[in-house]
Amino acid sequence: MILYKHEMKMNAKNLLIWTLSVGLICFGCILLYTSLEESIQGIADSFSDLGAMSAALGMDKMNVATLRGYYATEIAMMHSLGGAMFAAILGTGMLAKEESGHTTEFLCVLPIERGRIVFQKYLTLVSNIVILNLACIGLYVLGFIAMGESGDLLTKELALYHGAAVMMQLEVGTICFLISACVRKSMMGAGLGLTLLLFAADMMCRIVPAIEDLKYVTPFYYANAAVIFAEGNVNLVMAAGGAGVIIACYAAAQWVYCKKDFA
Amino acid sequence: MSGQEYAVSIQNMTKNYGKNRGVSHLSLSVEKGDIYGFLGPNGAGKSTTIRSILGLLRFQEGSISVFGMDVRKHQREILKEIGYMPSEAMFYPSMKTKEVIRLAADMRGMDCRKEAAMLCERLKVEPEKKIEELSLGNRKKVSIVCAMQHRPRLFIFDEPTSGLDPLMQSEFFNLILEYNKQGTTCFLSSHVLSEIKKYCRHAAIIKEGKLICSDTVENLTKSNAKHIHMIRDGKEEDFMYQGSLNELFAGFAGHDIGDITIEEPGLEEIFMHYYEKEAEEAAD
Repeated sequence: MILYKHEMKMNAKNLLIWTLSVGLICFGCILLYTSLEESIQGIADSFSDLGAMSAALGMDKMNVATLRGYYATEIAMMHSLGGAMFAAILGTGMLAKEESGHTTEFLCVLPIERGRIVFQKYLTLVSNIVILNLACIGLYVLGFIAMGESGDLLTKELALYHGAAVMMQLEVGTICFLISACVRKSMMGAGLGLTLLLFAADMMCRIVPAIEDLKYVTPFYYANAAVIFAEGNVNLVMAAGGAGVIIACYAAAQWVYCKKDFA
Repeated sequence: MSGQEYAVSIQNMTKNYGKNRGVSHLSLSVEKGDIYGFLGPNGAGKSTTIRSILGLLRFQEGSISVFGMDVRKHQREILKEIGYMPSEAMFYPSMKTKEVIRLAADMRGMDCRKEAAMLCERLKVEPEKKIEELSLGNRKKVSIVCAMQHRPRLFIFDEPTSGLDPLMQSEFFNLILEYNKQGTTCFLSSHVLSEIKKYCRHAAIIKEGKLICSDTVENLTKSNAKHIHMIRDGKEEDFMYQGSLNELFAGFAGHDIGDITIEEPGLEEIFMHYYEKEAEEAAD
């Protein structure tokens, strides 16, 4: 696992920056709830007049005037998007960076099978996503405790949402990992663009009935916190589909990279 | 000689990049303990051949074996036996030199600290410097350490001396000769003919993806090609001639030959001669 340790070390700074960015922004927003508490009912009333937009943001299911509703509709959205962007950036660069940095002729001439290179790099991706999420959850829990609302939020729904969020980020990251196996230069822009498209697809398919089937495409759909907090469960069929995409994309990345020419 | 006795054996290997030419039906063998030069200009197919030996490229036809092992089936075992230095020595910019050298050793599961220290000292590698601070020449020196520290049975160097100053080039070849005395085979590509002539025992010339000759460096430079310098009909002429000298002299009939010298050509002239000959044949 030398390559895994090497990759973890190489990505440590990136992981720290993203963990602090996502974690502290959401932590700060949790703490901000006190100052918003007086005006939040007004905000909730305003949002209720937004019709379809309320559904897109999950405010038809959760009351934003409670910390629980505020967390499920606002904080979780930032966490999901931030985590998915991190996964996309990491995934798109993980394999392609060797070719774009011309280090393939260093790494791939060492006595390690390409399949093991792919596996250890993928393990780095998974580890980074898990660490970011655990650290962020830790910060959020501190926020709940500081707000004296831990009882309301430290629930099964919170665990379900964060489990689904990790899986959603893994799905985004693995799709980008496959892209990384196919290209010769890191396509960070494409990874971020894909993430934003999938995020937007989740919001739009909740508003426009004609594109409702997009829910089968975007992993943000099964990781929607408002739905999970309101219904108390995760759509297991969708999540199983997500697991299938993860397995298929990883297997495809293995196949592509092992057959690839490094010219 | 059986495949087991060759360090590298390439049989009828073809590698194309889509519709673009790579290497076509190339065959060559490098004996164990040899220092083998692989000559050709940029784009001739030297790097394609080397990358195919290393398993970085998947060739379409033919076979390659290293120490009798098929590169398609035993890539990991083969890479254990090889120390490779690419033409562009690139590493992870944020790492220190010593970290890169250690990483290469760790990935091989070997403790190479003693050998690495000796190599760093002789090549004047600064272990504490970051890769991003190094020039091409200094990165090449790090690459040499990475290629040699595990004392492989086969060195493969792709244009190794580009970027190295003359002192380091000399030290580099001294190292090759020392390891070679202990049994290490060396396969190096270059377009610097003088270093091939000075250090290699065998050489091959590649042009547009095809091997045009391979022999001992001694035989290549002692081929029946001659360097002719003469003054014919008052005009100075300088050319390479391959063929019967009787026919050459017969062709002088009716001309006023003021002076003539016939010399064994240097490797550089042999190289150019083969290239010009191929070009003429293609034009015909």
